[in-house]
Amino acid sequence: MQLRYVYSELGQGLRRNLTMHLAVILTLVVSLTLVGIGLLFQQQATRAAEHFGNQLQITVYLCRLNDSNPVCPNPVTEAQKAEIEAVVEDNPEVASYRFESGEVALEKAKELYGEELFSGDNPALTAEDMPQTIWITLEDPEQYEGISSAVQGLDGVSRVRDLREQVGPILTTITKMRTYALGTAALLVLAALLLVANTIRLAAFARRKEIGIMRLVGASTLYIALPFLLEALVTALISVALAIGALAAFLRFAIGDLQQNLRFVPWIGWDEFWLAAGAVAILGPVLTLLPTLVLTRKYLKV
Amino acid sequence: MIRFEKVTKTYPGHPHPALDNVSVDVEKGEFVFLVGSSGSGKSTFLRLVLREYRPTTGRVYVAGKEINRLAGWKVPRLRRDIGTVFQDFRLLPNKTVTENVAFALQVIGKSRKEIKDVVPETLELVGLSGKGDRMPDELSGGEQQRVAVARAFVNRPMILIADEPTGNLDPTTSVGIMKLLDRINRTGTTVVMATHDAGIVDQMRKRVIELDNGHVVRDQAQGVYGHQN
Repeated sequence: MQLRYVYSELGQGLRRNLTMHLAVILTLVVSLTLVGIGLLFQQQATRAAEHFGNQLQITVYLCRLNDSNPVCPNPVTEAQKAEIEAVVEDNPEVASYRFESGEVALEKAKELYGEELFSGDNPALTAEDMPQTIWITLEDPEQYEGISSAVQGLDGVSRVRDLREQVGPILTTITKMRTYALGTAALLVLAALLLVANTIRLAAFARRKEIGIMRLVGASTLYIALPFLLEALVTALISVALAIGALAAFLRFAIGDLQQNLRFVPWIGWDEFWLAAGAVAILGPVLTLLPTLVLTRKYLKV
Repeated sequence: MIRFEKVTKTYPGHPHPALDNVSVDVEKGEFVFLVGSSGSGKSTFLRLVLREYRPTTGRVYVAGKEINRLAGWKVPRLRRDIGTVFQDFRLLPNKTVTENVAFALQVIGKSRKEIKDVVPETLELVGLSGKGDRMPDELSGGEQQRVAVARAFVNRPMILIADEPTGNLDPTTSVGIMKLLDRINRTGTTVVMATHDAGIVDQMRKRVIELDNGHVVRDQAQGVYGHQN
C-alpha cells in the first residue's frame, strides 16, 4: 500500500485542527493523570490494608523475649500457642485467622524504615525482638468484644490491638481520594470522548472533497480512515506521555512528601507507578481510537 | 455490463419510488445516454450502478457482480472498475493537474512507477499534455472537465459514468468533451451518460434511454433527445 498520501494527510490534519487537537490532548492528559492517581490510591489502600489489616481485623500480640508487658514473663510457648489457637478457632465472632511470625513482622518493619537499620553487626531489632501475632478477621466489625476478652487473659498473650480506630481514617481518606480522582476522571474522559468526536467531524468536513473522490475511485475504507486513526494515535501517545510524566511527578513529590511525614504507613513506590502507567498507556489510545473507529465508519461510509 | 432487473428504488420518507420496475441491459462497450427531466430517476440509476444505494426490490448487476449481495468491504473493488465524471468536475483545488489524476491511483495503492507511467499517458489522451503542472483554477472549464475525465479513466475502468458532464460547459467545449468520451468508448469502455443536452444526444446518435417519473419510457438505439413519432 502506498502510504505517502496518508502521512502527508496526517501532518496536514494535525496542523489544520491544531486547536482541537490541543484541547483533546489537554483533556486527555488531565483525565489520564486522574485515572492514574486513582489507581495509585487504590493500590495505596490495598498496601495499607495489607500492612495494618483491613477494617475487619484485630491483631493479637503474643509474648516475646524480654516483653515489656508484665503478663509476659517468658516468650510464648508452642503449647500456649495451641491453646490460644483453639480459643480463636471456636469463637463465633471469628471469620478467619492467621499466624504471623517474627520474621514477617521484621520484614514489614524493614519496608517502612529501611533495610540499613536492621542489618550489620549491631542491628536495632532482630526477628526475635519482633512479636509473633495472630491476625483475626471478624465476621462483623462491630462485634469484637467477645473474642477480644476471650483472648486477652490467656497465657502467652501480651495484648490485643484493635487498629481500626487509628487505621480506619487513613484508609477512609485514601479510599475517598481514589473515588474523587476516578469520579472526576470519568467526567473528563467523557469530555475527552466528545472532543475526539468533534475533532473527527471537523476533520471529515475539511477533507470531504478528498474523501468523496477516494470513495468514488475505490479507495478502501481503511485507507480513507487511516489518517484519522493515525491522528488519534498521535494525540493519544502525546497525552499518555504527558500523563505518565505527571504521575511520576505526583509520586515523586506528593507521595514523597507524605512518605517523609507519615513514616508509619507503607507508601506506594515505583512498582505501583509502573502498573498505573501501564493502565494509562492502554487507556489513552483506546479513548481516542475507539470513537475514531466508530465515527469514521459513520462519516466515511462507502 | 450493467443489468437492471425489475429494479425499484424507494427513498425512505418518499411515497413515490425514484425508479419503478426498471429493466435495462447495457452491453459491454456500449455508449448510452440517459435522458429525462430532473427528478426522473437518472441520478438514482447512476447511484445504483455505483452501489451508493441498494435497490429496494429487483436486482442490479454491474461488471458481473450482483450489487444487492455485494458485501460492503467489496464495494471499493467494484468502484475501481467504474470511472465517474460530474457536472462540477470535483477536482482538488490544492493539487496540480498531474497530482489530481495521480491521486486516484495513489489512494488505491498503485506503485509510484506505475503512476509515473500512466498519468502522463492519460493526460495526453485527454489532450492536456504539457499542462500537468497547472492548478485547476488556471484552467478553463473544458480543460478542468478533461482533468476529471482523465482521473476517471486513468485506472482504465470497464465502465465510465458521466453525470451531466457538459452541464457547465458552452456548446463548443461540450463537443470536445463528447469527442473525448467517444474516444474512450472506442477503447471498449462502456459509457453511461446522463444529460439534458438535446443537441449532443441528437448529434451522437447513440442509444438513448429515457426515464420519466421513475419509468423507462423509451429505449432506442441511435436515438435523439426528444420523442420520435
